[in-house]
Amino acid sequence: MAARLMREGQLVLPLALFFACFVFAPLSLLGYVSLHTDVSLQQMGFAQYAKFLTDRFNLGVLGSTLWLGLEVTLITLLVGYPLAYLHSIAPPKWQKVLILMIVLPLLTSSVVRTFAWLVILGRQGIVNETLLALGLIEIPARLLYTQNAVVIALVQIELPLMVLPIVTALAAIDPNLSQASRSLGAGSWRTFFQVIVPLSAPGVLAGCLLVYASSVSAFVTQTLVGGGQQMFMPFYIYQQAIQANNYPFAAAIAMILLFSVLTLVTVINLLARRTRALSHT
Amino acid sequence: MNAAIRSVLSAFAAGGSAAAVTASPGASGIALERIVHRYGAAIAVNDVSLEIRPGELVALLGPSGCGKTTLLRIIAGLLAQTEGQVRIGGEAVDRLPPNERGAGIVFQSYALFPHMTVAANVEYGLRARGLPAAQRRPIVERMLSLVRMDSLARRYPRELSGGQQQRVALARTLAVSPRVLLLDEPFGALDKNLRLGMQIEVKRLQRELSITTVMVTHDQEEALSMADRIAVMSSGVVEQLGTPEEIYDRPRTQFVAQFVGHTNLLSGRLVHTADRFDVALDVGGTLSLHDPAPCSRNGAVLVSVRPEHLEFAPDDAAAIPAVVDLVLPLGPSVVYELALSSGEKVKVTLARTGGAPAHRAGEAVRLRLAAGAPVSVFQA
Repeated sequence: MAARLMREGQLVLPLALFFACFVFAPLSLLGYVSLHTDVSLQQMGFAQYAKFLTDRFNLGVLGSTLWLGLEVTLITLLVGYPLAYLHSIAPPKWQKVLILMIVLPLLTSSVVRTFAWLVILGRQGIVNETLLALGLIEIPARLLYTQNAVVIALVQIELPLMVLPIVTALAAIDPNLSQASRSLGAGSWRTFFQVIVPLSAPGVLAGCLLVYASSVSAFVTQTLVGGGQQMFMPFYIYQQAIQANNYPFAAAIAMILLFSVLTLVTVINLLARRTRALSHT
Repeated sequence: MNAAIRSVLSAFAAGGSAAAVTASPGASGIALERIVHRYGAAIAVNDVSLEIRPGELVALLGPSGCGKTTLLRIIAGLLAQTEGQVRIGGEAVDRLPPNERGAGIVFQSYALFPHMTVAANVEYGLRARGLPAAQRRPIVERMLSLVRMDSLARRYPRELSGGQQQRVALARTLAVSPRVLLLDEPFGALDKNLRLGMQIEVKRLQRELSITTVMVTHDQEEALSMADRIAVMSSGVVEQLGTPEEIYDRPRTQFVAQFVGHTNLLSGRLVHTADRFDVALDVGGTLSLHDPAPCSRNGAVLVSVRPEHLEFAPDDAAAIPAVVDLVLPLGPSVVYELALSSGEKVKVTLARTGGAPAHRAGEAVRLRLAAGAPVSVFQA
């Protein structure tokens, strides 16, 4: 038994090696760099962390990044759940069309999608031109380079990551359950909230996890749609590393972002494990 | 077990909440009138009319794809029929959604809510009906003790065996005191040992509560043993509706004869003389019948004879010549497989009285109809 485990365990070696070289090694290096007090990496110490955590500006950037992730996740959920549910009740022919519509954005790079939002929300973008033409506004509204613009763009870009896990979770629910609920006297709303929603919770949590992790680190969208006005952690790291050449501080910011997100992810994961245990017969 | 159920039921009778279980003398019958259901171009149920009496247990028996489950779902309101009318307790329910029909359905997969405990599952329907907690609790307790699951009320469905899950499903359905109980292949997911026990239990519950019940099954033994009447279905139509005895002894169609139990089909010519009916069999020998049914017209016919209704005969010109092929002693009975002169095989089942079988393989014998044996005659 143990021998077999050993032999078959060798199958994970390539992946393990890959992770060691390209995930753990760089991360360790990052951690090592962040533990230096000076730019020339001579002195070890926690000065960079202290500097970050005692400065209100820095904490503000961290806060607005985490808040951005939260906002995007919640709105994506509100938009994505009905879409996933629609898919689950649609006839098979329409299900294929819906899935295509959901997946299609994933096939273009997020950079392309971000540029599309620049075109839509710009001063002379589609939205402003339309509003001007309708006479609803007289001067172009500032849509781009606002927090809301970043949220809107990210919601659209991350939507497939929310919808797909929920679609999977909904498809796994025994259709007899809602019929049983209906025949026991429950109306369709009660059936939806008491049976469908709780049983799709693992998918919801997985979707939230993906969207959250991906939107707090969406460097391109945050930077291009948010412009210089909106400072988020990924851009802050970029700025400190590339522009200010302050690698230890950039590394410390990166570690702090990593651990903040990791903490949240762990909590969501624990929740997910509990709900998954319940919904599996 | 029996005593437990009885005590619970007498508790009901002694003035328990009337909403709990209607062991009502005014049980509701079900009337299906000319039901047709099409899935696209395919016809699943073709002009079925059935009258199910109050308090009766009717089994819809047939091979898969015969439309029996479709029919059950139409009664439950989970499926809208293309044509025809469903009445429960005399009231047309076609426009009512499932939650207002008073039809409780137990699914083949039980469809217990996996995220709720046993008690919460049973309570679900009562909650949906807006019963206050104080009234819900005693009903849940009574239902769980009715199916002997009170000790497992806090378990989750995944922690239960198949039989236990089925009991919970039954309790959950009965808790809302449905006017009729619908069972979709209720024992299909149970292993053989459990099945008989649950069949007895369900039958007893159904009797005691005198609740009108429709059960879908493809298992003929289950239908024969549990149902008051059986509707044998094939390709969307009811081939025959009758008591288990009628179905077994007097199958009205060749399909019923072959689907329910084993049968031997013998071809011959029916000749009606002044005082009797004779069937001259193609393989030699003659069967004399009093009352051939469903076909009594002169001409080519098929006679369906159950294996236990044939017996060995002394050498007689009227008896059927055959050669013993196989002898299978099965404990209480012996099954003989014999070859007729045409090469067709027939089976004969005889009670075994101990000792060696009367005939051996290779022996030439003659067969006749046992006295008073029911047979069916079909037009060939």
